[in-house]
Amino acid sequence: MSDDFRTSAPPPGPPRPYRFPRVTREALDNGLEILIAENHNAPLVAARALIRSGADRDNAELAGLASMTTELLDEGAATRDAIRLAEDLGLFGASLATGTDWDASYISIDVLSKNFEPSMTIFADIARRPMLPEPALQRVRSERLMELLQQREEPSAIAGKRFSNLLYGSGTYGNSVLGNPESVTRFTIGEVRRFYAQNFIPNNTAIVIAGDIDARSAVAGVTKLFADWKRGPEPPRPSISPKAIEQSRVYLIDRPNAVQSEIRVGHIGVARSTEDYFPLTVMNALLGGVFNSRINLNLRERHGYTYGARSAFAFRRQAGPFVVSAPVRNEVTLESVTEVLNELRRIRTGDIEKRELEDTKNYLAGVFPTTVQSASDIAGRLLDMELYDLPRDYFDRYRENIASVTAADVARVANKYIDPDRAIIVIVGNASQIREPLGTLGYPIDDLDVDGNLLPVA
Amino acid sequence: MLNLETYTLANGLRVVLNEDHSAPLVAVNLWYHVGSKNERRGRTGFAHLFEHMLFSGSLHVGNNEHFRYVQSVGGVLNGTTFFDRTNYFETLPSQYLALGLWLESDRMGFFLPALTQEKLDIQREVVKEERRQRYDNVPYGTAFERLLHLAFDPDYPYHWPTIGSMEDLSAASLDDIREFFATWYRPDNCVLTLVGDFATAEAKDLAEQYFGTIAAGQSFPPFDHIRKETRSERRETFASRVPLPRLYRLYHLPRMGDRDWIYSDLLSTVLTSDKASRLEKALVYDKKIATDVAAYVLPTEATGMMLVQATANAGVAVGEIEGAIDQEIERIVVDGITNEELTRAKNRAEVDQAHQLENYDARADLIGMLTTFFEDPTLVSTWLEPYRAAGVDDIVNVARRYLVPENRVTSIFMPEAA
Repeated sequence: MSDDFRTSAPPPGPPRPYRFPRVTREALDNGLEILIAENHNAPLVAARALIRSGADRDNAELAGLASMTTELLDEGAATRDAIRLAEDLGLFGASLATGTDWDASYISIDVLSKNFEPSMTIFADIARRPMLPEPALQRVRSERLMELLQQREEPSAIAGKRFSNLLYGSGTYGNSVLGNPESVTRFTIGEVRRFYAQNFIPNNTAIVIAGDIDARSAVAGVTKLFADWKRGPEPPRPSISPKAIEQSRVYLIDRPNAVQSEIRVGHIGVARSTEDYFPLTVMNALLGGVFNSRINLNLRERHGYTYGARSAFAFRRQAGPFVVSAPVRNEVTLESVTEVLNELRRIRTGDIEKRELEDTKNYLAGVFPTTVQSASDIAGRLLDMELYDLPRDYFDRYRENIASVTAADVARVANKYIDPDRAIIVIVGNASQIREPLGTLGYPIDDLDVDGNLLPVA
Repeated sequence: MLNLETYTLANGLRVVLNEDHSAPLVAVNLWYHVGSKNERRGRTGFAHLFEHMLFSGSLHVGNNEHFRYVQSVGGVLNGTTFFDRTNYFETLPSQYLALGLWLESDRMGFFLPALTQEKLDIQREVVKEERRQRYDNVPYGTAFERLLHLAFDPDYPYHWPTIGSMEDLSAASLDDIREFFATWYRPDNCVLTLVGDFATAEAKDLAEQYFGTIAAGQSFPPFDHIRKETRSERRETFASRVPLPRLYRLYHLPRMGDRDWIYSDLLSTVLTSDKASRLEKALVYDKKIATDVAAYVLPTEATGMMLVQATANAGVAVGEIEGAIDQEIERIVVDGITNEELTRAKNRAEVDQAHQLENYDARADLIGMLTTFFEDPTLVSTWLEPYRAAGVDDIVNVARRYLVPENRVTSIFMPEAA
């Protein structure tokens, strides 16, 4: 046989159709939203409660209260104490998780479909009847303080916190979701219970279920468990108060024994609701969002400076950050920052090759089915849909929305949303080795301690 | 029961097909039966460095083009290296099955002509950055490396972690790469697993077309290392820039798949998995002397191991958490465990496996592992049987036999004096 077939990539066969699962929606009289998607590929069910209150509802004095409340939900509920709750979930083979991010809090159960019904009773207890006991707060607070202590020695955690704080100050998005040692020490169980009562209300909640279930009976089951939950007034949501950046500036946090510099370069981005979401998604993927993006190919594959470099827009309810991040060895810190800034400038010039644009769009459009194989994946998409008020045909139209982005769109949003001359550059590393080279960037350099306090000029 | 078709090409390539049309995707997965245990002293980190090189192009695929070909059609891809194996995988829209086979066969059969010193130099730097990022620049980052150094003698190839040492990475040459490729990267040292939306007959034709003409190799270097049993515990205390003391333990076990390894897997779930598990309840929930504790077994082929780690809470001496761990193990040995505890552990194993089978990529990887280590892809349907059959006494017996001081090593990370 001739080996000609080896010389070039084989053509694809005919494309096979893909459709996102059909979504069944219901809204109860108390305001609770229900979203169900059937998927019978595996005998598993993913159930989620979405509470539209994340760390964005925290006020600065009590930063971390939302996540602390969520963490305490499984410390006993209704008639079961914490241990009994874990035992009973274990007997159903159900894994429980709770969590909080900036925009929302979640309760998750993943379970074999045969045990779905009894698990849902416990799930509803956790959402509606948590004990929130005082001793648990004391224990979890101590664990949280130790976690925050650990983060003070983790270069990527330090860089991330300092970057957020420099952008947003001590208000919303400027703290960690976990809070800080001062705020965490301040919590009382009364405040936890108040946060719970104000935010865990049906008109602030959606129940999402995906997997091996019958949609109609799932709706009936959720209705039975949640219909008599009492609605409440909408809780307050503080606004972000970002600081204006007049010119780019370097913030250096010294770690004397570091063998790498953790680099963050960026500024305020844009909210999830932006009409430029699709052009921005394409632009960022091309710039630094995927392995074969410009920033990663430059820093990693051309220069060998890093194990991985990336860029990201944090699309949140309010404008989250745009950030480029990379850990690089000390000796090439200046070169890496310079290459990042070069890439940020280049994408604004409109110098976009047809092939890289097509590759990027084909990736984003084509990869979608791969990312929604499991019940848990599908539930995650429904949560996005609900949290960000996406249109009902959003996932059906996702691929055409990506496909319609043009090179002109990419250049336009790069110019509008990326500005290397008004960026914050945070570097956590070995100051004695990297400060002098960084001086040649021509930007002012501030030395900060790990908590963000400005240090006197050396 | 999964629908599996298994056969071997004339050149020794084992092929496992699992046709499944639930999603319009195909997972292409290759397990090469080579990992860091096949390295020699002075060349540690080599199997993993080699994995990086295999993404840098082959005769008909340019540098970085492997990633581009896959991503530009909506595929995802990666590779990983561990002690015993190296895997490469991509999940593609199913009409691109031939593309995946073309790419994988090109690097299996035609890698050497595209190899250059420049590519090696770049990937060597990337891997050194990976080591700095994951080991050298983070608190506790070298814990696993230190445990392995303690647990295995220098001539036993689990003595070093997959990432290798900086010194050895610097020493790797093009000739090393060529020799490693010729020795291990060949059809008769590989399992090709395809899962997803294809017609079996067509997939067979494609596998033959792309892989059938690649030559098998000569004999393999033998793996004849026997771990010498230890007679007493090995311990160390290591001061470094960490905020809290943390205890790391490694207990020696039989190899993966052995009944006692399976019972130890269940035991690790009894020890740590949720608030009701033994060590979490005792150390974190009741006594509040640790901020976290974890126990798990590793999927290793030559010999087995269970790892345990726990971080001391503020102001707690590390000896106190160590004493509490030993006390809980002793309680299991003396008083046993309950039927309910065992049922919960079995349930967790069942759910974990169901999740692994749910996605094509994870399913293909599980099949590749079972075929590589046990030469039996049908284990994917029967793997849980010994778990289901396990009795309370089986769990207690492995605790009694393996979780003893002379069978373990302990490494304690302490905050260095300010």
